[in-house]
Amino acid sequence: MPDVRVSQLYKTFGDVTVLHEVDFTIRDGEFFTLLGPSGCGKSTTLNCIAGLEKPTGGTITVGDTTFVDSTAKIFRTPEERNLGMVFQSYALWPHMTVAANLAMPLTIRKASKKDKQQRIADALDKVGLAHLADRYPHQLSGGQQQRVALARALVYSPSVLLLDEPLSNLDAKLREQARAWLKALQAELGITTVYVTHDQDEALALSDRIAVMADGRMLQIGTPKEIYETPAAPEVAAFVGRCNFLHGQVEKTDDDHVHVRLDACGEVVEVTGDAQPGQQVTVAVRPERLTVGPTGTGLPCEIVTSAYVGSHHEYHLRLGDQTVQVQSPRGDLTGAVGLTFAPEAALLYPRPLS
Amino acid sequence: MTTTLVTPRYRRFLGAGRELWVQYAVLGLLALLVLAPVVPTLYQSVLDRPLYEAGGILTADNYVRLFTDAGFGTVILNTALFAVGTTALTLLIAVPMAIAVVRTKLPGARLFAAAMQWPFFISSLILGFGWITLYGPAGFVSTQVRSWIGTVPWNLYSIPGMAVTEAVALAPIAYVFCANALRQSDASLESAAQVCGAGPLRILFSVIVPMLRPPMVYSSILVFSMSVETLSVPLLYGQPVGIPVFSTFLYSNGLQSINPDYGILGAASALILLVTVGLVALQAKLLKDAQRFVSVRGKATRPRRLDLGWINWVSIVAITFYVIFGALLPIGGLIFRSFTLIFTPLQSPFKTLTGANYERIFTFDAYTRSITNSLIIAAVGAVLVSALSLLAVIVARRSTFKYRRAVEYLALAPQAMPGLIIGIGLFWAFAYAPFGAGSLIQGTLVALIIGFGLRALPSGFGSIAPSIMQLGAELDNAARVSGADWVRTFTRILGRLMVPAFAGAMILTFVTMLKEYSPAIFLGSADSNILGTTMLELWVQGNTGSVAALATIQIAITAVFVGVAGLLMRGHHDA
Repeated sequence: MPDVRVSQLYKTFGDVTVLHEVDFTIRDGEFFTLLGPSGCGKSTTLNCIAGLEKPTGGTITVGDTTFVDSTAKIFRTPEERNLGMVFQSYALWPHMTVAANLAMPLTIRKASKKDKQQRIADALDKVGLAHLADRYPHQLSGGQQQRVALARALVYSPSVLLLDEPLSNLDAKLREQARAWLKALQAELGITTVYVTHDQDEALALSDRIAVMADGRMLQIGTPKEIYETPAAPEVAAFVGRCNFLHGQVEKTDDDHVHVRLDACGEVVEVTGDAQPGQQVTVAVRPERLTVGPTGTGLPCEIVTSAYVGSHHEYHLRLGDQTVQVQSPRGDLTGAVGLTFAPEAALLYPRPLS
Repeated sequence: MTTTLVTPRYRRFLGAGRELWVQYAVLGLLALLVLAPVVPTLYQSVLDRPLYEAGGILTADNYVRLFTDAGFGTVILNTALFAVGTTALTLLIAVPMAIAVVRTKLPGARLFAAAMQWPFFISSLILGFGWITLYGPAGFVSTQVRSWIGTVPWNLYSIPGMAVTEAVALAPIAYVFCANALRQSDASLESAAQVCGAGPLRILFSVIVPMLRPPMVYSSILVFSMSVETLSVPLLYGQPVGIPVFSTFLYSNGLQSINPDYGILGAASALILLVTVGLVALQAKLLKDAQRFVSVRGKATRPRRLDLGWINWVSIVAITFYVIFGALLPIGGLIFRSFTLIFTPLQSPFKTLTGANYERIFTFDAYTRSITNSLIIAAVGAVLVSALSLLAVIVARRSTFKYRRAVEYLALAPQAMPGLIIGIGLFWAFAYAPFGAGSLIQGTLVALIIGFGLRALPSGFGSIAPSIMQLGAELDNAARVSGADWVRTFTRILGRLMVPAFAGAMILTFVTMLKEYSPAIFLGSADSNILGTTMLELWVQGNTGSVAALATIQIAITAVFVGVAGLLMRGHHDA
């Protein structure tokens, strides 16, 4: 299985630039996710890899094969790229049975009759739907259709598997099952996979590496742990999981500990990081890393609202002129409280002078 | 996995994939078809002699002569009066009817809505025959009225008479526009007015009628341009008493004079073309702008029906009057006429019941042949036009072809081309075609299939285009990624899924082409007579009984065809 190399990829529609010189390499056998809000360019990137959209510039290569090279004027059509793709709507051809859906790519590749039967049986077996080969798509449930679409994308052993939000049409319960099942299947096949989603939980659970995108730019590429624990930018922290952002100014530094005076309440907090005294910074803390204690400890706050969401309680606290989200196992907190967090639980971002 | 599969590779001819060749072929064919009648017409209009004669000199003389000595001023005035009258009457019939059927508590509303589809089955030529049979100077109803009050208070053979008949024929078009607009509009607007204390009549005039302004504007442009180009009614009513309009001017100058003045004919055609193209372009632009203001709401609101009390009964009477006296009686009378020798209230027509009218048709080979000719043209034409429409729709809506917009415009362009001008233009095109290719086609059924097919192309395109929008583009993308090129995606996936839409287009174009006749006036020959031209010929000879018989046959063929096709389609859906 080959590497996928994308470099300097950009795409414009008229005056609007939807992709700004995107670069990344997907390693052999990797589960690689493009994550971002709608309109961030993740689907455009995927469609450029598939050949369904023609990029304005840049190159895409898979192994030794060049799919797109704008300077050499190379553009390989989607049918000649030998990729497998699952669409959001599954796009099963409604006038064909499940078996016929799987047979079409094999017929195009001139597979022998015996080979064809063998491959269809194998592929359906892998997704656990061997007994439904003669059904028509409209006779299947959403989850079954999704698995047939996956079988159709895999039946001809494509070099790379592309998945365009394949789970978003399933209901919540089914989506979680499908997630675990998809992960296991991908690991078993070892096929290089590019996955597009706007669902951060899905991305964290499935991926070997995640590329977070916004406004047509790559913000960060890293493992799920890197993305969640050490987001490269406040935008990444905000999009992957929830996060409180507290603005302030550096008072003093002390080894790798930085003391920041917060604009919201005038109190000083201690975080690990690297900054110069006097610098404008943003301190980012996730709601589950904040601890609520009695008044007098940490930052003085007042509880505004509380909500019970099953596994824990969610609070909105007023800190000076700002609202802070806190997640806590305790449900009996009211009134004035103190807010604390460990210095290494927070992240420090420099703030550009505005 | 047993063997390794090879990635599909597709051959390229001269550096281009085969889809590009198909797409250029569709574009080229459409451009050839559309330009074939237009270019010779425009060229002829500035040429001092017939364009197939050598040594022609470019000149504006034709236009000068057209406006100075050909009596063209009267023609323009008549056409304008006729078109304005038709448009006004059409709105007068259609708008109240649409409101009554869609928005008031009207018993039998569904029946009336279905009845408004009658012009689909009946050509305006046949309607004209029917009206003359009943309301003409010697018509059944006229004679009866004269025996009661001593005089006939109307004159069918006049511009108002022509306008009334044409308006009856075109009212369903305006009705459909208005009724659709009313169905789509938000009922909560009316509820809001009601809560504010407005009564049903006030709601009607301050909420519903203003909403109808856009459909009224563009349906009146459409009706206006159709009455500018129509031939049937002016030919039957105006021609005998000397009221020329655009279309009959072309007809008499091109066909009836012994030595036709091709220069004048070309200039007049070019002018009419300019008017109809301008009107259709204006209509298309207004329609496009209007669509921007249509908000599609997720929640379907059932149109509220107003109770207008006694006005309801007035509208029932009016609609019944329109359907019965406008369409049912004339058509029924015409069918009845086909079975009698004499059709007058002075003597019971039942006394002279006969099959002689049909006998005459079936004993003369020329008349029988016109039936088979019409059937051949409609059947072959329907298949060809629907196939071309399907290809054009796929190229226009489902390809990355550089000129896909041009394909769409070309396929819809014949909307703006009057049948008579398609006939004249193709006639010249065949006469002018290189290597004498045109003389092989001239006067044959092939020429008629081309002419009629061109007329039917916009309906074919228009009936297929909406169904392809309902097929998700991901179906194509899935086929492309899994190894099918554009052509194979069409043959394996899109083409198969479009079969029901294709069948629907075939039914529509078959009926359209069976009713069509105006291009045949110039393109036909003694061997390629069709139902419409034969009816006109028999009419001029005074053989009204046989005209009625042929009209009845045409209506019967249409009804049987649509009935059978409908049953087949329904069976297909159930499977």
